[in-house]
Amino acid sequence: MRRRDEASRRSIPGGTVVRWQPWLIGAVGVALYAACLHVADVSPARLWAGLPRLGQWAARAFPPDFSDLSTLLTRAAETVAMATVGASFGAALAVPLCVLAARNTSPSRLAYHPARLLLDGLRGIDSFIFALVLVAAVGLGPFAGVLGIALHSAGSIAKLWSEALEAVEPGPIEAAVMSGAGRAKVVAHALLPDALPQLASILLYMWEFNVRSSTVLGIVGAGGIGQELKNSVDLLLFDRVAAIVIIILAMVTAIDTLSAWARRRLS
Amino acid sequence: MRVERELRPDRAADFRDCSAAVGAAAPPRLVVEALCKRFGARAALDDVSLSVASGELVAVLGPSGAGKSTLLRCCARLTEPDAGRILIDGRAIEHLAGGELARARHDIGLVFQQFNLIRRRTALDNVLTGRLGGMPLWRVVTRAFTADDIARAEAALSAVGLERHVGQRADTLSGGQQQRTAIARALAQESRVLLADEPVASLDPENAAAILDLLRRLAHDRGLAVLATLHQPELARRYADRIIQMREGHIVGPVRDDG
Repeated sequence: MRRRDEASRRSIPGGTVVRWQPWLIGAVGVALYAACLHVADVSPARLWAGLPRLGQWAARAFPPDFSDLSTLLTRAAETVAMATVGASFGAALAVPLCVLAARNTSPSRLAYHPARLLLDGLRGIDSFIFALVLVAAVGLGPFAGVLGIALHSAGSIAKLWSEALEAVEPGPIEAAVMSGAGRAKVVAHALLPDALPQLASILLYMWEFNVRSSTVLGIVGAGGIGQELKNSVDLLLFDRVAAIVIIILAMVTAIDTLSAWARRRLS
Repeated sequence: MRVERELRPDRAADFRDCSAAVGAAAPPRLVVEALCKRFGARAALDDVSLSVASGELVAVLGPSGAGKSTLLRCCARLTEPDAGRILIDGRAIEHLAGGELARARHDIGLVFQQFNLIRRRTALDNVLTGRLGGMPLWRVVTRAFTADDIARAEAALSAVGLERHVGQRADTLSGGQQQRTAIARALAQESRVLLADEPVASLDPENAAAILDLLRRLAHDRGLAVLATLHQPELARRYADRIIQMREGHIVGPVRDDG
């Protein structure tokens, strides 16, 4: 370590010592960031040129068009329903997965590793991509969205739940083991009571997350308010777009507030 | 009210036939032979042998790191010994696994130093933990405990003087009450051997004396073989029938009268 420190220093005539490693790391970081800007085709000039067009659209968006409010609210309810049913289906799939994927509940390493692999795979594919594929399989509409949310949520919920199970204090579990109880009884009596508030909080968080993410599922034909948004943008109905954005904001804020309140109560 | 007065070891008869109590002359209920356990290069237990008879309270004295807790955890098979034998009423348990090990553990009550209570559950729920081994799974999942299980758990709480705290959440009980709840959990299990890992380490002198008095009465009145690890020689001399001293994983003999 000491030798490495010395190697990173070069004396400058006059006695000042300069560490070259931080400068090298900084230079590499700046170079990589510049490469990212180039690859991402970032162009302030094009943004400047496009601003008047954005201004025109913003002007056409006011006042927002709430004339078809009942349809928009129905679509918003569809989005909440998709997120709710999707999260619940995902939670049902996550129950066995999280038990297999937590070190302190998994019956063996032969079950643990495949379970971790499966939940990482489900988490890695966004519900949007699942929905894109499932629309082709089950047709247009919210059901494809529900399945997409369920599959992605199962992975995310199972991962967070397995971590919550692993964080449970081992003491009460050992006490239950000493009673001569088998694994299932120990989990039901000693592990779940400790973990349940955390598990419920995670489920609420995922529901809230799903409401936000499912607003865009309509873009691939999976129903909900997102589908109305896409149709309105395609038809350049910016006053209707503004109304939809306001409804989405109100819906997401209400769900976030409700979920945060429930999670506070649980903690 | 003094804490001793709150304890009700006289309720021992609610659980088990007291005629089993035969004192130190009885055949050994717990036997440990040449037990060894290493953690890396360090020998936590090195050729440890001892026995505890029915109706006997044996105290294991020693400084921190002497191997006292490891000894108890190995006896309970919560820590796997590297070598040696553990016998309960003559039956070797060191090689058991799965359901057989679970059934063997049913005969070993363990009082943990940190109580190991389910904090969000009531004292009664925690004591019912000791009854899990004999319940069908559906009763545990649905929490449909039988009247008999509840009565035995309540009697265990009553025996340790906590009959007025049955429905109180574990995390709202005092340290002494939590330790007594942990002892009640072991009592409700109706085991033949009771292991107590530093049962008074976190208690004030009055509660410590009360707990050790309770353990001694449980051994003498119910015929339990009680093996308790302790730090304080004066408490061991006052309450234990026999004292074993440990140092650096070895048994170094009985403690001298001068401690």
